[in-house]
Amino acid sequence: MIYTIRHRTTYDYGKPVGFARCMLRLTPVSSATQTLIESAVCISPTPLRLLVGQGPFGETTRTIILDRPHDQLVIEARSRVDVHAPERLPSAAPAWEAVRVAAFGTRQLGADGPAAYLYPTRRTPCVGAITDYARASFLAGRPIIEAACDLMVRIHRDFTYDPDTTTVSTPAIEAFEARSGVCQDFAHIMIAGLRGLGLPAAYVSGYLRTNPPPGRPRLEGADATHAWIALWCGESGWIGLDPTNAVPALNDHVVLATGRDYSDVAPIDGIILAPGKQAIKVEVDVVPEAD
Amino acid sequence: MGIEAVTARPQSDLGPEAAARLSGWLRDYQMLPGVPDELFDVMRRPRADWLELLAGFAEYPEAESRSRFSVATRHIRDTGVTYRVYGEENERIWPVNPLPLILGHREWAAIAAGVEQRATLIEAILQDIYGEAKLVESGALPAAALTGSVDFVRAMRGVEPPGGRHMPLYACDLGRGPDGRWWVLDDRTQAPSGAGYALENRLVLSRAYPALYNRMNVQRLAPFFDGMRKGLSASAQRSDPRICLLTPGPFSETYFGQAQLARYLGLLLVEGDDLLARDGKVYLRTIAGLKRADVILRRVDADYLDPLELNGASQLGVPGILEAIREGGVAMVNMPGTGVMESKALLGFMPKLCRIMLGETLKLPNVATWWCGQPAEQKYVEDNLSRLVVGPAFNASAGQCSRSRLIADLSVEDRESVSAWLRDRPGDHVGQEVVRLSTMPVLRGDRLEAAPFVLRVYAAWTPDGFRIMPGGFCRTSERPDARAVSMGEGARTADVWVLDDKPVEGATLLASHDDVKIRRVAGTLPSRAADNLFWLGRYLERAEATLRLARSLCTSLMVTETAIHGSGETLEGLQTLLVGWGALDEDALGSGSLEATVSTLRDEDADGSVIRLVRAARRTAASMRERLSADFWTLLLGLETELAATWPMPRSEAEALGQVERALQVLAALSGLAQENINRDAGWRFLDMGRRIERGINACRMARTFAHEAATTDDLDLLLDLVDSQITYRARYLVGLSMIPVRDTAVLDGFNTRSLAFQVLTLKDHLAKLPTLLDDGVPEEPHRVLLPLSTEIETSEAASLTIERIAHFEATLLHLSGVIADRYFLQGAKAVPTIKLSGLG
Repeated sequence: MIYTIRHRTTYDYGKPVGFARCMLRLTPVSSATQTLIESAVCISPTPLRLLVGQGPFGETTRTIILDRPHDQLVIEARSRVDVHAPERLPSAAPAWEAVRVAAFGTRQLGADGPAAYLYPTRRTPCVGAITDYARASFLAGRPIIEAACDLMVRIHRDFTYDPDTTTVSTPAIEAFEARSGVCQDFAHIMIAGLRGLGLPAAYVSGYLRTNPPPGRPRLEGADATHAWIALWCGESGWIGLDPTNAVPALNDHVVLATGRDYSDVAPIDGIILAPGKQAIKVEVDVVPEAD
Repeated sequence: MGIEAVTARPQSDLGPEAAARLSGWLRDYQMLPGVPDELFDVMRRPRADWLELLAGFAEYPEAESRSRFSVATRHIRDTGVTYRVYGEENERIWPVNPLPLILGHREWAAIAAGVEQRATLIEAILQDIYGEAKLVESGALPAAALTGSVDFVRAMRGVEPPGGRHMPLYACDLGRGPDGRWWVLDDRTQAPSGAGYALENRLVLSRAYPALYNRMNVQRLAPFFDGMRKGLSASAQRSDPRICLLTPGPFSETYFGQAQLARYLGLLLVEGDDLLARDGKVYLRTIAGLKRADVILRRVDADYLDPLELNGASQLGVPGILEAIREGGVAMVNMPGTGVMESKALLGFMPKLCRIMLGETLKLPNVATWWCGQPAEQKYVEDNLSRLVVGPAFNASAGQCSRSRLIADLSVEDRESVSAWLRDRPGDHVGQEVVRLSTMPVLRGDRLEAAPFVLRVYAAWTPDGFRIMPGGFCRTSERPDARAVSMGEGARTADVWVLDDKPVEGATLLASHDDVKIRRVAGTLPSRAADNLFWLGRYLERAEATLRLARSLCTSLMVTETAIHGSGETLEGLQTLLVGWGALDEDALGSGSLEATVSTLRDEDADGSVIRLVRAARRTAASMRERLSADFWTLLLGLETELAATWPMPRSEAEALGQVERALQVLAALSGLAQENINRDAGWRFLDMGRRIERGINACRMARTFAHEAATTDDLDLLLDLVDSQITYRARYLVGLSMIPVRDTAVLDGFNTRSLAFQVLTLKDHLAKLPTLLDDGVPEEPHRVLLPLSTEIETSEAASLTIERIAHFEATLLHLSGVIADRYFLQGAKAVPTIKLSGLG
């Protein structure tokens, strides 16, 4: 399935900003399950300097510097991505305890290997309460994919989707205790639970198609950037799970970037000088091309 | 029993008193069971070097010894050698032992060789893991033993260090084990601290006991620091590079050590805000614009270096600095990511890695360590829990296991929670053999006692290879528990004397003739330093003016008959000025003058009181300690202490007056030091400009209050007091007090050093001598503001000078202060992050 994606971010500043430096992660990655066909980022006003590079988790980065006063910054990314994931998750998988041993013993240091995603981070600390919540799905010897899907379904069932209870900086434990949040919170909670059991789980940012295929319900997060998790399952490789919607992330999900938590993949990180108030607006369209 | 064995040494020359002290020390010295001691061998025979040292100490009569040491340590207190426990507002005085640790040259050679080998090994490992990672691919080093550390900076993979090496500076903590060998307890690979304190300890001991220090052939530290400085220079692309020490700021634990090192090595001490990354390079914000920073010696942890790529919440870093490193535009010492080698998880791999990378065995063993991320090691640790220390595998992580503990010391519940955590996340833990540290003698009172100790040894990469500091930073435990685990807070420090077998040459940091370029001005002044100096000048001058007002308050009460300034309005004017400055609470208006004076001096709640101004001056000075002389700091710190603590609350006007005058004397001394002991470079100009602007503003304000149209002779008389111009006035005018000549004296008289005119003329001179951003001959904004003011003042006549004009002068000076800040100082607003996407699904 080929998708056309438009991701437009508008910052409005109360006072002119004289200097800004931003790091953009707005180009979808190519991987075994998707191919980037084309991608462009338009920035207004035109930056003084634009440097394209590769981030530590394989993502394409753009560093921009603006040095003239501006009271609005518009960043629009357009991409076409061919998503060609399998139709369903692998049916067989090793027991989860074996995956833990394999992950800690891996010889892969790169971002594709499991080693980077084993440890707690600032946004996904390992806390007993979340680990114990996750443990209920991880019975001894259970195949990892089955256990992880069970955890995903439980999060979907036990938590309320509510954009008003959390913000972009809410720690996982707060959302966990409130049993409520948005995609980012659910992903962080699921990751914290999996890592608490010593399993390698990654944070994925990306997009959902805006309008569902005929006969299927519209999913939460379809008109914004979305987030889910990826779990390394030993010889079965990485699988994507979307706890917000309790579905595997397959052909309706377009991966933008993967990291240890939201901080590694934030679409725009920026520093501005002499600011007043800031307002931000994000618009996302993800449209499948007619075959 | 062993004392007789050594009578052949020079100690036989000891007088009876010294001999008695020495033998008392040795007799009463209690060794800890089961661990070696530096002073006595296993047969309880004292070692020769230590005996010589102790004999030397015993020669000083007890009182003299104590006074020598306290004079030397007073220097510590006076110059503010301090450290800070994180999160505390107040610094603590650095605790140093009177006795150094003694190491013979042969023993030292083995330590130095071991440290050099380890530094070489770690550099090789860093090159591998930030490069091709063959060690991981081959299975020699599990990837997960690296990725658990926040100091494994993935963004640095594949980046060639611009200076050529990942880790030019290295330190390790050593302890002597029960077998008498030195063991590596910890590696310090990120930003080894303590070298500045080592310098300070050396300074104290060599001052306290100069004869002994010279007689014992103690190896000098200076050549090491010289090598370190050359190594830093060599890592830059340009000759004559600008080298900065990046500090987290005055609130970091070891700020003094950083300032000390910067001053000793001649580096610029900078904070993140001082630097700007652009075009793949890093620049220092200075009063002359942006200047290239070539080398950065960092004391900021990697995670905080770049809020754009690493910890987004960091206020300590420089946005974009990682990009500049990737582009080769700045050499960073040490590279971000070197801290990964501090992980305990890696200790167990070191013997094998040494064989693989260097083809050698480790010359200094490290503590036996098992990383539980491997099933066999996990099982070993679980099976031996009762006799091992279990601790965090990584130096900094968000995990639960925060410090090393001996499982045997834990309660049943704690033990169960450690076991459970170990089952869920074995890779977060290491098990380590318990290390029992050897002891060294320390003096407590006049008793010689055995204290467990840890020795930190430093290595620096120089153009001639690694150089090891002959000495180090020694910490002794206050507790007799010899387990390394319990070394921590409450430790004291000791100097480390490495003895040479031949007389050592005196060495200082003097460079050889050929590599010094003559300079008369100390480089470019960073904007932050200019800012601090300017405000230091303003605070000191404001404190002085406030004290003058307080003095007048006191004297007004003491003259009972014809109260000099006793008339009600004059007193009210005084108090109004004080209230206007925030020196006095509005509620205190009209209260007794003694209360008003006391409150002006000491009210901690009034932000314009003398104590608050002095504190503000001290804080400002503290953040640029490397730029101020020890004398300046001593005086300022002393005044703060006296005001805040030492002086009793005055009970009479006379007592209050005494304190006011004493404080004025200290300020006069500070001002004298600033005039005579600070080089006339840009820094001095900013200090003086702050003072001049403040004094000019105050002159205007006082003239407006006491030389208004309806002023009495009392008012005029007081004004002359306040602007310290009684003598000047009386020498010029025989007619007595009269409005127009008093106004002229206070405002327009360019020969009177206290008048507004004098301040303005001085400011004009300063501005003219400061660097300009562009060489286009167009005057910069501060000149444009000052020029009309100085012209008007130079051409005005006292007879036509109105209060409105004086108010205008005052406003112009206030404006000038802001314009100077805009032009020369850091941008007022700090950089802030853009808000993040709120529209997350």
